[in-house]
Amino acid sequence: MVRAIKGTLVECDPSIKSIIINIDKEKNDYIIEDLDDSHLLIKDVMVAQLKAKLEERLKETVPFVEDDSGSDKQ
Amino acid sequence: MSANASSLSEYLEQLPGTTFRRLYQQPSTTFAIFRRMLPNLAKTIVMAILYMPGPFLLTDLEIWIKASAKREKDQAISILRSLHIVQRDASPTISLTPNFRNSLRLALEGGGDHNSFGVTSTHPVPSDIDVNFLDRYAQKKWDDILHFVVNSVGFSNGPGDRGSNGPKQSVKDLMIRGHLVERRGASGINITQAGFTFLLQEANAQVWTLLLLWLESADAVASAKGAEEALREGLDSVDMLSFFFLLASLELGRAYDTDALTEARRNMLPNLVDFGLVYVPPANARQFFPTRLATTLTSSETTLRSVSAGFAAAGNLNSSAADNASGAGAGESSQDKSAIILETNFRMYAYVNSPLQIAVLALFADLKYRFRGLVSGVLTRNSIRRAVDMGITSDQIVSYLATHAHEQMHRVAASAQKPVLPPVVVDQIRLWQLDTERMLATSGFLFKDFDDYKEYNEICNFADDIGVVAWRNDRKGMFFASKVDQIKDFMRTRKKANESK
Repeated sequence: MVRAIKGTLVECDPSIKSIIINIDKEKNDYIIEDLDDSHLLIKDVMVAQLKAKLEERLKETVPFVEDDSGSDKQ
Repeated sequence: MSANASSLSEYLEQLPGTTFRRLYQQPSTTFAIFRRMLPNLAKTIVMAILYMPGPFLLTDLEIWIKASAKREKDQAISILRSLHIVQRDASPTISLTPNFRNSLRLALEGGGDHNSFGVTSTHPVPSDIDVNFLDRYAQKKWDDILHFVVNSVGFSNGPGDRGSNGPKQSVKDLMIRGHLVERRGASGINITQAGFTFLLQEANAQVWTLLLLWLESADAVASAKGAEEALREGLDSVDMLSFFFLLASLELGRAYDTDALTEARRNMLPNLVDFGLVYVPPANARQFFPTRLATTLTSSETTLRSVSAGFAAAGNLNSSAADNASGAGAGESSQDKSAIILETNFRMYAYVNSPLQIAVLALFADLKYRFRGLVSGVLTRNSIRRAVDMGITSDQIVSYLATHAHEQMHRVAASAQKPVLPPVVVDQIRLWQLDTERMLATSGFLFKDFDDYKEYNEICNFADDIGVVAWRNDRKGMFFASKVDQIKDFMRTRKKANESK
């Protein structure tokens, strides 16, 4: 029998996907279904929270590059 | 299609069929929807079957359309179905819904006493009310609204602030309810992400945004107080919507009779006056004049002015209001039109005076210095990120910079045969935006657990043809669709067809 599951499709790079899966491991309350290498089905209500968490993780892992569009910047 | 059509079509698509039946009782509404909401192929199909005595076989329709254009045809039919223009039943034929057919015929042929295209006033028209006057009036009203949104950013207290009175309290409340701005503290007002997007929209889209907010708030009142109460206050969203479409069909510069309107619609006039969509002369309240904001609601022509011209005009409000209003955004002064110099080292110098424009620049640049008539700043990863986080896209920023590029930039670019903006900066702005978009979210439904591959294949292909499939995996037999209404219809008919076999 066909089922239609309400959710949000998230498309991202495999690297980002692994971070999302990592975030989900703590409580298992984000991901409904793992679709393929670059697609996930996420609970609608959790999308905003997931975005925020992802930003947080990325800040920790990706070094912040100072803009240097001019050495004489004030 | 422009942004307003998409938000309007989103609003329309979620309306129930009974609402459409009521909307299509008005020839003006029918005609406006036909004119504004349909792609060309859908229009052609409607025109072709408009005068057919009976239902038309879908297989015959297929003969008319090249096999290579099947996708376009399916999408056109899908739009026609979602707007309840053609019958939504599952028969192998296609026919227009009776109300739509009758109203569109009336609109084309004239006749009837529906007064759906307005009744012109028989009273004499004061000589000072002409197209120029109306444009100026609408512009002033609309700029007040824009000022209100921009002032909430908090860059307004410079010496150039002209302190306009702002829009009426009811309009302010509407924008707060619509989350374009938020109340912060006792009297402070703070702009939201939606507000920024609103600011950068085209004027026509802005008008629709505000009107849809109004409709939604009317719906909210109706559900809170009960439909009866809302009707008494003239807040019936269906009637409101068809009144907007009526306004859109009126002629600029003509006087119309308020007595010919129903009482509910007469009660809407003060609000429309606050938006600047209509003008009611103080001396004669039995007349009303639609402004350009109203008459261009359903056309894709140039509205009062473009976005960027809008900012220029709003900042330039008092100095050359007459100039501004003279045409469709043609009249802004040269100083405001070409003011920004952008260097390859991401530095930006802008010759601007108005707080409105400075506020807009501050949305995406780190401003460093401000002199009389000049601000300078630099575009950084952070400043662009901040803008993107607020919902502004890199394309909006680039096009803003390009339309406001200084004359000197154009001259240098022309002599060196290079693009006006330094490509390195443009690319970097785009890259900075990509940086923030690590994941792309689409809401909808995942379809899975099909009984067999044939079922999956048929349903998924149907969904693909109407353009709602965001992801599919044939091996797993799953697909993700952004809209489901028509898929449900399709599955129901398919099931019936299978049972009858």
